[in-house]
Amino acid sequence: MPVYAIQARELTKYFGRTEALRGASFTVDENEIYGLIGPNGAGKTTALRIFSTLISASSGSAQVFGFDVARQPEKVREILSYLPEEAGAYQQLSGLEFLEFMAGFYSSNKTGRLSIVEEGKRISGLGDRLQDRVNGYSKGMKRRLLIARALMMKPRLAILDEPTSGLDVTQSIHVRNMIREYADTQGVTVLLSSHNMLEVEYLCSKVALISNGIIMAEGSPDELRGRYGAKNLEEVFMEVTRSA
Amino acid sequence: MRNLIAIIVKEVKELVRDPKILIGVVLMPIIIFPIMGAAIQISQESVERAIMGASFAVYTDDDGLVTDALLSYLYRNNTVVPVDAGSLEEALIGFKETDSSAMIYIPSGYNDNITLGQKGVLRVYANLRKLNMAETQSTNVVSSLITVYNYYFSISRIRNLLAQTGSVGTPEAVRSPIEIRYASILKGNVLDIPPNAIFSLVMGQSIMLPIMVMMMVVFAIQMAATSIALEKEQKTLETLMTLPVSRLTILAGKLSGSVVIALAGSVSYLIGFGFYMNSAFSFVPEATTMNISDVDIGITPFGMVLVGVVIFVTLVSALAMALSVAVFADNVRSAQSFTGVLITPIMIPAIVLMFSDIEMLPQSVQWLMLVIPYTHSIIATKAAFLANYVVVVRSILFISVWTLAVLYVAAKIFSTERIITARFTLGDFGKRFKRK
Repeated sequence: MPVYAIQARELTKYFGRTEALRGASFTVDENEIYGLIGPNGAGKTTALRIFSTLISASSGSAQVFGFDVARQPEKVREILSYLPEEAGAYQQLSGLEFLEFMAGFYSSNKTGRLSIVEEGKRISGLGDRLQDRVNGYSKGMKRRLLIARALMMKPRLAILDEPTSGLDVTQSIHVRNMIREYADTQGVTVLLSSHNMLEVEYLCSKVALISNGIIMAEGSPDELRGRYGAKNLEEVFMEVTRSA
Repeated sequence: MRNLIAIIVKEVKELVRDPKILIGVVLMPIIIFPIMGAAIQISQESVERAIMGASFAVYTDDDGLVTDALLSYLYRNNTVVPVDAGSLEEALIGFKETDSSAMIYIPSGYNDNITLGQKGVLRVYANLRKLNMAETQSTNVVSSLITVYNYYFSISRIRNLLAQTGSVGTPEAVRSPIEIRYASILKGNVLDIPPNAIFSLVMGQSIMLPIMVMMMVVFAIQMAATSIALEKEQKTLETLMTLPVSRLTILAGKLSGSVVIALAGSVSYLIGFGFYMNSAFSFVPEATTMNISDVDIGITPFGMVLVGVVIFVTLVSALAMALSVAVFADNVRSAQSFTGVLITPIMIPAIVLMFSDIEMLPQSVQWLMLVIPYTHSIIATKAAFLANYVVVVRSILFISVWTLAVLYVAAKIFSTERIITARFTLGDFGKRFKRK
C-alpha cells in the first residue's frame, strides 16, 4: 500500500450544527503541489487545519506521511509547516528575530539553526529590512517573511492557506516562484488553498474543487479542463459548481 | 528546555517592547509614584513654611498678674502681633488687616476667674481668607501653645495648693491620678510595649506583603491575558500551535514570560511606592524607635520560604486562569475586559483582610471568603508572619489543589482545538441575555 504525503478518507467536521466538511477524500503524492480550490466557506481552511493538527476531524481519517493526525500529532508537527491565511508575525520582534525564534524549533545545534535562518533570509528577500521590527512592515513584506518562515526549514509537507492573499503582482510572483522552487529542488510537498485559479493552474500538479464540504472534482489542471471541455480552471469551477 | 527558554525569551521581548506594557506596567509606577510623592511633599513643606512663619494676634480686655503671665508666655519665642484697639469689634477689624491667621482674645474677667479658682476663658478667632491647610494649622499652633501653658499653669497651682494644705503627693499625680501601662503578649512572650506600637511596627510587613502578592498576581493576570490575546490578534497562535513543541511547553513558556514581566512590574511598583511613602510622608515623625528584631516578630527564613511557595502557587493558578479565559477573547481589549472579572475575586480578599482577620467576619461572609482561593493566599502570608505554620501549610495545600485544577483546565484547552476555535464576546452574552 503506497504511503501518500496526505491521505484524507471520508473526512467530516462539524462546528456545532454546521457541517464544514462532508466526507472529503483525497490523496496527495510526495513532492506534489496540490491545490484545494473553492468558494468562501467551502471547507478548504477546515481541511488544511485538520492536516495541520490544529483541529480534529469529527469522523474519517487524516494521515500525513503515514502518521495519523489525530493520534500522532507530535510526529506530524515535526515534518510539516503551516502558513495560515492572513497569518501575522510577532510585531515587537525584528524579522530576523522572528526567523531565529522559529528556526530554534527545527534544529538543536547552532550551525543547523544558522543554516535555516540563512535560507529564510534568502527566501524572504527582505535584506536589511530584516533588522527592523515587524510592526513596521507592509502587508507584502510580512507575507514574504511568513513564506520564508514556512519554507526555510525545508519541511516534508508545507500547508499554505491562500499563500498570496492580499499581495500585489510582483510579490505574488516572488512567492509562487519560491513555492515552485522548493517543491522542485527541495522535495517539499505542498498542499495549498487559493481563490486564484491562475495561481493554482500555474503551481499545482493536482487540484481538488471543493464546495459545501464535498470534493466535487479532482485531477490535474489538464485533466480537469479536458473533462469539462473548459479553457481554464475558472470555467471548470463554474461548470462543476453549476452542475452540483 | 531549549524550546521553553526560547518561548520565554520571545514572550518577554514581545511584552517589554510593547510600549503600552513597558510604560503602563514597568515605567509608570517608578515615575508616577515619586512625582506624586514629591507633589505632596512640596505642598506639605509649603504648609509647614507657612505655619513656621505664621504670626498670631493678641488682644486683651483684661489685666492683672495672671493675664500678664499668659501674655509674657505668648510673646516669648513667638511672632505675636499685638492689636491695639478700643473694643473687640475694633480689634477684629484690625486683626483682619494683619497677615495673621489667628487672634487670641483675653476677655475681661479672665484674671479674676482664675485667681478665684474658676475657669478662665480665652477666645481664638481664625481668619479663614484662603481656606487652606496653613490657616487651620496656625489655629492648631495657638491651641497647642495654650494647652502646654494650661498644663504647666495647673501643675504650678496644684503645687501651691498642696504646700498650703500640707497634703502629700505630686502635682502631676493629683492632676492625672491614673496611668495606664500597656503590655503585649506576642508568641507567648510578655512585652512591655503597647499593642498599637507593635501593630504599627508590623503593619508595614504583615499588610504590605499580602498586598504586594496580590498586586503581582493582578499584573501577571494582565500580562498572561495580553500575551495570549496578542497571539490571537496578531494571528500567530495558529502558527505557534503547529510548531514541533509540546503544547504544555507553550503553556509553561507563556506562564513564565508573564511571571517575569509581573515581577518587573511589582518591583517597579514597590520602588515607586517606596519613594512615594518616603517623600510624601517625610514630615510624619517616627511613631516608634523600636526595631522589628527587638520584639521578635520578624518573619523567619522558613516563613519566607513558605511565603515564596504561596506566591508561586498563587501566581501559577492566577496565570493559568487568565490564559484559560483569555483564549476566549478575540483581541487584547476584550481579553482585558475578561481579566477585569478575574481580578475582582482576587482583590476582594486583599481588601477585606487588609485590616481584619477572617475570624472577625460574620460566619456567612467567612465561608464566602474561604471559597475564594485567593483568600488563602492572604491568610497564608499573614500567618507566615506570625509563625502559624500549620495555617500556612493548610492554605498552601488548598491553593495547590485549586492551582492543579486550573492548570488541568488550561492544559486541556491548550491541547485541544478549543485554543483555536473558542470565541466569546460580551456581545454574545448580551444576545443570550436578550433571548431569555
